[in-house]
Amino acid sequence: MHRLLLLIPTTTYRTEDFVEAAGQLDVDLVVASERPSTLESYFPENLLTLDFADPAAAARTVAEVAAKRPIDAVVPVDDRTSVLGAAVAAALGLRANSVAAVATSRNKYRLREALRQAGVPSPPYRLFTLADRAEAAAGAVPYPCVLKPTILAASRGVIRADTPAEFVAAFRRIAALLRTPDVVDLGEGADQILVEGFVPGVEVALEGLLVEGRLEVLALFDKPDPLDGPFFEETIYVTPSRLPAATQAAIAGRAGEAARALGLRDGPVHAELRVNDAGPWLIELAARSIGGLCSRTLRFGTGMSLEEVILRHALGLPIASLVRERRPAGVMMIPIPGAGVLQGVQGVEAAKAVPGIEDVAISLHVGQAVVPLPEGARYLGFIFARAESPERVEAALREAHQRLGFDIAPLAPAGSAS
Amino acid sequence: MAETSAIRDRVQELLDTAINPAVAGHGGFIELIDVQDTTVYIRMMGGCQGCGAADVTLKAGIERMIFEEVPEVTEVLDATDHASGSNPYYAPSKG
Repeated sequence: MHRLLLLIPTTTYRTEDFVEAAGQLDVDLVVASERPSTLESYFPENLLTLDFADPAAAARTVAEVAAKRPIDAVVPVDDRTSVLGAAVAAALGLRANSVAAVATSRNKYRLREALRQAGVPSPPYRLFTLADRAEAAAGAVPYPCVLKPTILAASRGVIRADTPAEFVAAFRRIAALLRTPDVVDLGEGADQILVEGFVPGVEVALEGLLVEGRLEVLALFDKPDPLDGPFFEETIYVTPSRLPAATQAAIAGRAGEAARALGLRDGPVHAELRVNDAGPWLIELAARSIGGLCSRTLRFGTGMSLEEVILRHALGLPIASLVRERRPAGVMMIPIPGAGVLQGVQGVEAAKAVPGIEDVAISLHVGQAVVPLPEGARYLGFIFARAESPERVEAALREAHQRLGFDIAPLAPAGSAS
Repeated sequence: MAETSAIRDRVQELLDTAINPAVAGHGGFIELIDVQDTTVYIRMMGGCQGCGAADVTLKAGIERMIFEEVPEVTEVLDATDHASGSNPYYAPSKG
C-alpha cells in the first residue's frame, strides 16, 4: 500500500477535496498540519504537526517519520504549504519541484524577476517595502498601475491606481493589511508591495499539470466579468474557453514558458493570464492547483477529480485520461455585497433549482465577519453549474446568484458598544 | 440485528471513552446517529461542525479508530450539515 503525505493547513479550503480523493485510492494517509489534531496522540504516525514556517525543520521531522515507514509521495494542498512540500520531498528523495523554483513562484516579485530574466513578456514592475514613503513611490511608477502584496493570494490586497493620489491611498491601505498579524505570520515577503503596470485585456485562468517539465493543460477558464479594478474580486470561471483556438494555444505556450522560466517541472500549476492585442501576458503562475472549492467544476476521463489526478501523478499511479469531460462547466465565487456579520442566507434551494446548477455551497458561517476585498480573506460561497454550452453555464450561474439573498448586519462603529 | 446492536454499543463506547474526550479539546462532539448493517452514521457537532479540519479528523482519525477497534464496520458516513455550523474551530481562509 502506498503511503501518502498531505500537507494541509488547518484553514485551507482544499481539505475536503484532497482527503476525499485520497479516500478513492488505496493509500495509507498521513496528514500534517501546523496545529495538532485532537486525535494525534492515537495516530502519531498518521497525524503530524509541523512548523510550516520552518520548512527545513519540518522536513527533518517528516524524514524521521518516514524512516520508520517510508512515505511514497508528498502533496501540498495550497500556496501555504507549497515550499514546505518541496523541502519535504527533497528530504525524502521524492520527485518534486526544487525548493528554489517553488519559492520563486510563491513571491510575485521573484516571479517577475525570473520571467524578465527568461525573456517572458511582463508588464513593467517595481518593488517597494513598508519602509518606503508612499508619496515618493507614487512618483516612480507608470499609470495606470496595480499594487499588490507579493505573497498573498486570491486578489487579497490587489488595488489599481490611475493617479498618484490613488496610488498613495492604495499603498497605505495595503500597508495596513500587511501589518495585520495573520499576514505578518507569513514571514519573508510580508512587508513587500509590488507595483506593476496595468495590463488591459480579458483574463483567463489555466489549470495545468507539469509532467517531466512538459505542461499538460487540464482546463482553461474564461472569466467573463471584467477585472479592471480598483479591486479584483473574481467571480465567474467557465470552461472550456470561448477564445479562438489559436489564442488558447498561445496562452498555453506562454504558461509553459513561464513554468520553465521558474524552473518548475512537476505537479500542478495554476496560472492567471491576460490577453490583449499584444498576446497573452502572464500575471501569475503558482505551483498549486486552483483555490477555494473551484476544482469541483473539473472532472477528467470517466469522472476523476482534479485532486485524484494530482495524487495519482504524485504517487506514480496510472491516470486513465487527462482530458476534461466535454460538458462545459463553471463556478461563481459569490461576490461579497458588503461588510458586516453574516446573519442568514436566503434562496439557496431556489438557486439550486435553476437548470444547470449542480450545487450551491455557502462557505461562510452565520455569525462570521463578511469582509470584502481588498482586505477580505474568506469566500462567501460558491455556485457550480454544468450545461450544454459555456453561455448556458454562465447564464445559469448568474440566474442562481440572483436568487440568493444575504443578511449582513453592519458592524457597530468602534466605541459604540454599551 | 443482534450484530448491528453490538456494533452500535462498541462504537458508542469508543466515542464515549476515546474520541469525544479528544475532540472536546476543540469544543467538538461526535454523535452516533445510526448503524445500518456495517455502516456507521455519525454527526459532528460543536467545534467540529463546519470546521476546516473536520475531514481530517473524520478520515484520518475517527474512521481509522472505528475500523481498528470495530473491524466489522465497513463504512463511516458523516451526516453533518457542516454549512450550519455556528462555531467551527478552524475557519477556512484564502491565505
